Amino acid sequence: MILFFLTSGLFLGWSLGANDASNVFGSAVGSKMVSFRKAAIIASIAVIIGAVMQGEGASHTLGKLGAVNAIGGSFTLALAAAITVYVMTKFALPVSTTQAIVGAIIGWNLFTGNTTDPGTLSKIVGTWISGPVIGAVFAVTLYIIIIRFKKRSHIHLIKFESFIRYGLIIVGAFGAFSLGANNIANVMGVFVPSFNLHPLNLGFLTLSSSQQLFLIGGLAIATGILTYSKKVMETIGGNIVELSSEAAMVVVLAQSLVLFIFSSTSLSAFFVRLGLPPIPMVPVSSSQVIIGCIIGIGLYKGVRNINFKLLGMIAIGWLATPVLSGFLAFFSLFFIKNIFNIDVGHKIMPGENTSNLIALAGDSSVSGIVRYLLLGILATGIFILIVYWLLENRKSRDLKKSEEKFWKNMK
Amino acid sequence: MAVFERTTKNLIVKIDEFFDNIEIGLLIFKEGLKSYFSGDMESFLHHIQKVDSLESNADRLQRSIENEMITHSILPQHRSEVVRLIDELDEIIDSIKRSMNEINIELPTIPEKLKKDFLSLAETSANAGEELIPAARAYFRAPYTVREKLLKVYYFESEADKISMNTKKKIFQEMDELDLAHKAHLRYLIHHIENISDMAQKAADLLSAMAIKLMI
Repeated sequence: MILFFLTSGLFLGWSLGANDASNVFGSAVGSKMVSFRKAAIIASIAVIIGAVMQGEGASHTLGKLGAVNAIGGSFTLALAAAITVYVMTKFALPVSTTQAIVGAIIGWNLFTGNTTDPGTLSKIVGTWISGPVIGAVFAVTLYIIIIRFKKRSHIHLIKFESFIRYGLIIVGAFGAFSLGANNIANVMGVFVPSFNLHPLNLGFLTLSSSQQLFLIGGLAIATGILTYSKKVMETIGGNIVELSSEAAMVVVLAQSLVLFIFSSTSLSAFFVRLGLPPIPMVPVSSSQVIIGCIIGIGLYKGVRNINFKLLGMIAIGWLATPVLSGFLAFFSLFFIKNIFNIDVGHKIMPGENTSNLIALAGDSSVSGIVRYLLLGILATGIFILIVYWLLENRKSRDLKKSEEKFWKNMK
Repeated sequence: MAVFERTTKNLIVKIDEFFDNIEIGLLIFKEGLKSYFSGDMESFLHHIQKVDSLESNADRLQRSIENEMITHSILPQHRSEVVRLIDELDEIIDSIKRSMNEINIELPTIPEKLKKDFLSLAETSANAGEELIPAARAYFRAPYTVREKLLKVYYFESEADKISMNTKKKIFQEMDELDLAHKAHLRYLIHHIENISDMAQKAADLLSAMAIKLMI
C-alpha cells in the first residue's frame, strides 16, 4: 500500500527525468558532442547521488510551505503536479515541476485550512525570478572568461573542442547532481513528513528515512532519463537558440551552479559563518534558469532578435502552472477524501510536531526494498559499464579494419 | 579518455600534414612549369612524379581525416565545413596533377614571346593557392586572423585574371603567325594554369564564411 501511494511521486519523478535532464545534457547531445547513451548513464548516476547526498535542504523549505501530514494527501499532491506537468508539456508550454508542486501544496493548505507561510512563499517565488537572473549573470561571466582564454591561448580548434567535450561531461554530471539535489524536493518533498522509515545502515553509509525516499525518487528520475529523454535531448540543441559548444557548456555550468547554490546547506552555512545572510534552500526550476542563461548570453552577444512570442509563452507557463496545479490539487483532495474516504491531512495546530504525525512510522519493508534496490543498481551499473566498454572497443576495431581494407583495395 | 586524446592529436597531425602536401604541391607546380617553359623535360617529369605521390598521399589523408571526424564525432558543429574545405584543397592538388599530366601528354609549344607571361601567370596563380594555406591553418588556431590572410588570395587571384586576359589578348590579337589550333591550345593551357587561383578563391570564400561562423 505504501508503495502504491508513492506511485504518483514516482510518476512525477519520471516526468522530471524525461523533461529536465534535457536542460543538463540537451545541448551536448543535440549538438552530437556527447552520445545519448553516455549522457543518460552519467546523468542517471549523478542525479541519484545528488538526490541522496544533498536533497534534504530544499525539501525542508517545501515542508515549511505545507507539512502534508497524511500519505493520501502527499499522493494527491504529487499526482496533481504530475498531471499539470504532463498536460502543459502536451500543449508544448514550458513547465516547471517546482511551480507545479508549490501550487499543489498551496492547494492542500487551502483545502485543509492551513495557512500558507507568506515568508516561505515569497522566498520560493523570489527564487523564480532571482534564479534566472543569477543564471544569466553567471553565464555571461563564464562565457567572457572562456572566450578570452580561447582567444589568447591560440589553442587548436580540435583540441579546444575536445576539452569542451570533457567539460560538457563533467559539467553535465555536476548539473545532474545539482538537479537531483535541488529538484528531488519536488518529487519526494511532499512525502517526507508522512514517512518515517528505519535508518538503513549500508556499512559505509547510513541512509535516513528521507534519504531512502530520495533514493527511490532519484531512481524514478533516472528511469525518466533513460527511457524518455532521448527525443527531448536530441531536439533541444537546435530548439532554443543555436549555441556554440563553449556557450552550451557555459549555460549548463551556470545552471548547475544556480541549482547547487540553492540546495547546498554547507554553502549556506559558510555564508552565515562569513556574516552574510543564509542562502534560501529552495527548489528552483532548471528550465527557468537555463532560459535565463541563454538570454544572458544572447544579450551579451548582441542578439537583437529575441523571440518575444516565446518569452510570452514562457511567462504564461510560469503563471499558469502553479494556478492550474493548485486548483487541480484542491479538487482532487476533495474527491479523494469524500469518494474514497482516504485521509488527506488536517489542520496543524500550533505547537504540533509534524514529524510525529506519522501513520507509517517504523516501516521496515520499504527499507528492505531500498537495500535490494541498491544491490540491483550496483550490479546493473557494473554490467552497463562492461557492455559499454566492449561496444566502444568493437567500434574502434571495426573502423581500423574498414580503413585497412579500403587502402588494401585501393592498392 | 586516453584513446580520445590520441585521436585528437593524430587528427591535428593529419590535418597539418594534409596542408603541407597542398603547399608543397603548389611549389612543385610552380617549379615544374618553370622547368617545362625552359625546356628541362627531365626535371619536369621528376616534378610530375612528386606531384603524383603528394596527390595520392593527400587523398589518403583526406579520407582518414573525414573518417575520424565522423566516427569520433569531432567538431560536430563545424565538421561539414571542415570536410568541405579539405575537399576544396584536395581539388587544388588534383587539378595540379591533372594539368601537369596533360601538359606532359600534349606538350604544348610556348612561343618565346609568351614564355614570360606564362611564367608570371603560373607564379601568380600558385601564389594565390599558397596564401590560402596559412589562412586555412589559422582557422584552427586563430580564426580572428583568417580574413586578413585571405586578402592576399583575392589579390593574387585578380592579378592572375589580369595576366591571363592580357596573354589571351596577345595570342589572339597580336600573334598572327600562330594558327588557330595553336592559339586554342595555348588558351586551353592558360585556363588550366589560371584554374588554380580560381579554386583558391573558391576555397577562400568558404574559409571566410567558416571563420565568421566561428567568431559569432
